[in-house]
Amino acid sequence: MTAETDGGYEFADGIPINPIDQGTIVLVAGPALSRAEGVARTLVADGSDAGEGMLYISTNMTAEKLLNACQQTRPSFDDTRMGVIDCSGQDAAQSTLGERVKYVSTQSDLTGIGMKFSALYEGLYGTVKNGRVRTGLISLSSLSMYVDLRALFQFAQTVSGRIDSAGGLGVLAIDPTTHDTKAVNTLSQVADGRIEVRESESGTGDGELRVRGLPDQPSGWQPFTLSE
Amino acid sequence: MVHRILCVDPDEDVREETVDKLRSELADQDLRFETAGSLASAEAELTTDTAAVITEYELPDGTGFDLVGAAETACPDAGCILYTDTDPDTIDTTELRGSITEYVGKDSIFGTERLSQLLATTVETRIQATYPVPQNETERLAALRSYDLDNPDLLTSLDRITDLAADHFDVDRASINIINEHSQDFLACYGDAQDWESMDREDSICTFTILEDDEVMAVEDVTEDPRFETRSETLLGMGIRAYMGANLITSTGLVIGPLCVYDDDRREFSAADEAYLRDLADVAMDLIELHSRLDGVAGDTGGTQ
Repeated sequence: MTAETDGGYEFADGIPINPIDQGTIVLVAGPALSRAEGVARTLVADGSDAGEGMLYISTNMTAEKLLNACQQTRPSFDDTRMGVIDCSGQDAAQSTLGERVKYVSTQSDLTGIGMKFSALYEGLYGTVKNGRVRTGLISLSSLSMYVDLRALFQFAQTVSGRIDSAGGLGVLAIDPTTHDTKAVNTLSQVADGRIEVRESESGTGDGELRVRGLPDQPSGWQPFTLSE
Repeated sequence: MVHRILCVDPDEDVREETVDKLRSELADQDLRFETAGSLASAEAELTTDTAAVITEYELPDGTGFDLVGAAETACPDAGCILYTDTDPDTIDTTELRGSITEYVGKDSIFGTERLSQLLATTVETRIQATYPVPQNETERLAALRSYDLDNPDLLTSLDRITDLAADHFDVDRASINIINEHSQDFLACYGDAQDWESMDREDSICTFTILEDDEVMAVEDVTEDPRFETRSETLLGMGIRAYMGANLITSTGLVIGPLCVYDDDRREFSAADEAYLRDLADVAMDLIELHSRLDGVAGDTGGTQ
């Protein structure tokens, strides 16, 4: 059952990040205007072309909005291997994703989010090539408004442990400007590396990103584009 | 290191089968399995060093969530895994909210293989703990165990160091703490700290201090620090509002715990304060290593007589 070691998780040309090893957890950090959440969403959606599973824990967007956002940046996006834990708390309208959406009514219910995540992960893991699943938690900052830091840390670490043990890719979005530095440092402990995102200084592309703590990555700030 | 695993299922055959499979799939791990068929008998098996609880949701006298709640008190570091026939969509999770529980369906096409993978990760990395664990935790604990920390002469010397720290910082409480696998224990104490008893690691400030790259951690006010604010009532009750801890680092670079001073008022600590406490912590560690070497020499001498 263990995923074959057939290379890391790859990204589209507009994202200047080299393949990331299986079992890696990355924190995508940037303020609201930097499109950090868009980067996090795209890092997961890029599994579409590779035939991989894509699983989102979505705090702000409903499953439908999330699906639309993925389709906008990736016109060939294949949603048959997509799963969503929708904890936006908004109207749980029937999603085109059907059984692959699970709803949690409040973001304070970390138990519910965690268990439904586990169940969806299990389902996707069994249906995709070599058990390759990308997970996006978007975002930690939103969850932090409902639970205290220690509970959030425990949740992030448990989710990360499951991703790591299954050879997946974990992408956790955070807006560091909304947290105490100590909170960001504590939450960073669950990740292997960090992708920092900022608005473009030169005005080119959708913004700039910099990879920290991961091997064999470009150094310094690099422009990125989200749309293909 | 032996890990205690509690496996709970009302169906004895299923229970035994699960344990047999886990035992064989995780043969390379040092696991000790205990089993129970009901909530009451499972609760009786929980101890502070239970590393993981694997439980069915439906139990004859309660639910798996009742057991998770009991485990939170008895063994806060333990990982809990619901291994069940019950559909997660039908389980009311709002009662547990803050607690994290892993879920593995018994109908998983991977059978117990997925469960054993998850169990291995859970016990190896303590993934359901509410605090970060150092990456070199196994080596750190081995280093801690290598010292004889009960030596009365050593403890007297360490007491003098906490006296010096309390005097210098003009505080009523100071201590040298060691961070064990699941608890914080007090090696030497000054003042009111002498009344303190061992505490769960998740409640300790020092479990964060040992992660510090720059060896010293200061907290101006526990009620304003996101890591401790939910535990601040207990800390204030102990007379701790401000805190500074400097790590005791072995000659091989591993942290066994910190030397700490506590103030019952909000307080800022300067760079000079941090440097002084760091020096005292270094002296404390030197003393521990010296005593350890002396014990070794005494042992060798005894052997040749």
